[in-house]
Amino acid sequence: MSPAGAPRGRSNLVPLAALGAVLPVLLVALLGPLVAPSLAAGSPTDQVGAPFGAPGPVHPLGTDVLGRDVVARVLTGGASVVGLAAGATVLAGVAGLLLGVTAGTAPRRVGELLVRAVDVLAVVPALLVVLVLATGFPGSPAAVLVAIALVSLPFSVRVNRAAAERINTAGYVETARARGDGWWRLLRHDLLPGIAPTALSETGLRFVAALYLTSTAGFLGLGAGPPAPDWGRMVAENLPGAALSPWPFLVPALLLVVLGVGVNLLVDDLAGRWASGVSDG
Amino acid sequence: MQFLAGRLLAGASTLAVLSVLIFTATAVLPGDASGSLAGPDASAAERAAIRAELGLDRPAAERYLDWAAGVLRGDLGTAWVGGRPVAELLADRLPVSALPAGLALVVIVPLASGLGLLAGMRAGRGADRAVSAGALVTAAVPEFLTASLLVAVFAGWLRWLPRGSMVPLGESPLADPQILVLPVACLCLVGLATATRLVRASAAEVAATPYVESARLNGVRGLRLAFAHVLPNAAGPAVQVVAVVVGALVGGAVVVETLLGYPGVGLELAQAVARRDVPVVQGLTLALAAVALAALLLGDVVRRLLDPTGRYR
Repeated sequence: MSPAGAPRGRSNLVPLAALGAVLPVLLVALLGPLVAPSLAAGSPTDQVGAPFGAPGPVHPLGTDVLGRDVVARVLTGGASVVGLAAGATVLAGVAGLLLGVTAGTAPRRVGELLVRAVDVLAVVPALLVVLVLATGFPGSPAAVLVAIALVSLPFSVRVNRAAAERINTAGYVETARARGDGWWRLLRHDLLPGIAPTALSETGLRFVAALYLTSTAGFLGLGAGPPAPDWGRMVAENLPGAALSPWPFLVPALLLVVLGVGVNLLVDDLAGRWASGVSDG
Repeated sequence: MQFLAGRLLAGASTLAVLSVLIFTATAVLPGDASGSLAGPDASAAERAAIRAELGLDRPAAERYLDWAAGVLRGDLGTAWVGGRPVAELLADRLPVSALPAGLALVVIVPLASGLGLLAGMRAGRGADRAVSAGALVTAAVPEFLTASLLVAVFAGWLRWLPRGSMVPLGESPLADPQILVLPVACLCLVGLATATRLVRASAAEVAATPYVESARLNGVRGLRLAFAHVLPNAAGPAVQVVAVVVGALVGGAVVVETLLGYPGVGLELAQAVARRDVPVVQGLTLALAAVALAALLLGDVVRRLLDPTGRYR
């Protein structure tokens, strides 16, 4: 699957560095809301000082555009970015697996029709799908999640269908089918184990794309909307004051950059290892 | 000819399906706009009056057919806020957006082709590693972040460029080219990484084929090898790149224009979503989806024309 002559000869340095950078960010995003009440001075939505106040002992990163504590908002603002991306990835993965296997094992015509139907979503720029659903369900994080899942569904269906088609004609599947095994049993015992590696490596790529979209949705004020904290929206809110106090803008921006680049490097590395068949632990 | 007709038909049917999806997501599902337009204190009767005024009390299928028939006549409905015809709005804003997007495309395509060819023909070597790693990193950062960082550095700290990109009403952005610098730069970053990766993959594949190998053994090297042997065979797939970039620019325009206050379709759409102006969202998303679809279609056709072996039949 990898393009011919892709750069190989990999060292472990890049993935380890990427992992070392991504893990702390993920920890802040996922555990931050739990520790924020004890670590930060004030709730993420309460005004505690003047706008763009300088860092001090009480507010180590200063205050934001509305005078709220930046530490509290950084700690609580990553959950929506990472959580929605993970949720959308899982939803699209499961739906894509079921639809892909159905398309791969159904008669050719039916499978083709199914893929064509889902492909309609692939031609639309991803952000438009998110914007349309956000209009239908304003202020709903679930709508953002479903929109992002819909955007990545076509790729998931395509990859899983190709894998299912390959396995579907294998001897042991034919045997199981001749024995009279049902669809669900066939799926669980014969098809899934063969598809799982493909499905998992494809999941990583979709997670990268989902992160990209959840942070952009936050930036545009979609989903939960203000005043809820969100790294993407913090970048938008605090950009005008970046010359006064850089931290409220720079900290969430850098966390998002590290997260995006790190996860992308990790997934690229894993996909490369997969393709070249090199596995070391 | 048959190929072209088939593609046009497929494109039109895709657009029809999309129009149904857009309409369903924005106007049929529960919790329609009457609630947000009427305000939180409105009585049930006031809401019913607003629903009747907007025609929301009629069956969904009837409303869709009305809307679709209007779209076919070039009538995209009227904005709920402001009362302007959506088609007029689109005609106003689309050229404003097309200018920076077009300029970005003019920068992206040659640059991505050059970098992609350079990397793809030397797969695995230093130049390839540098280009591939750079593209991978850039592609991983959402455009709103790169754009925000550019604004913070060049408009905020260095004060070289204006912070926003307001265009005075009725004037062309060309009247003050300085305001175009940041939008174009941001949009370039959006597409450049993706395009470079696609060209590189295509060039690497071609560079590994036997006929390029034999040309190389015959002493053809450097630019001549790149332009006479690799590019013609990599160009077909690479044309698809332009289509992909156009799609990315459509999404990028929403983000970059919102960030800079540049008065194009993207900003208008983001604002319409924020105030839940359903006819504007419907009309603009359908138009932007049509632009992306047209680019894909054009890419398909050009790719077929370019393919030197004619194997795409």
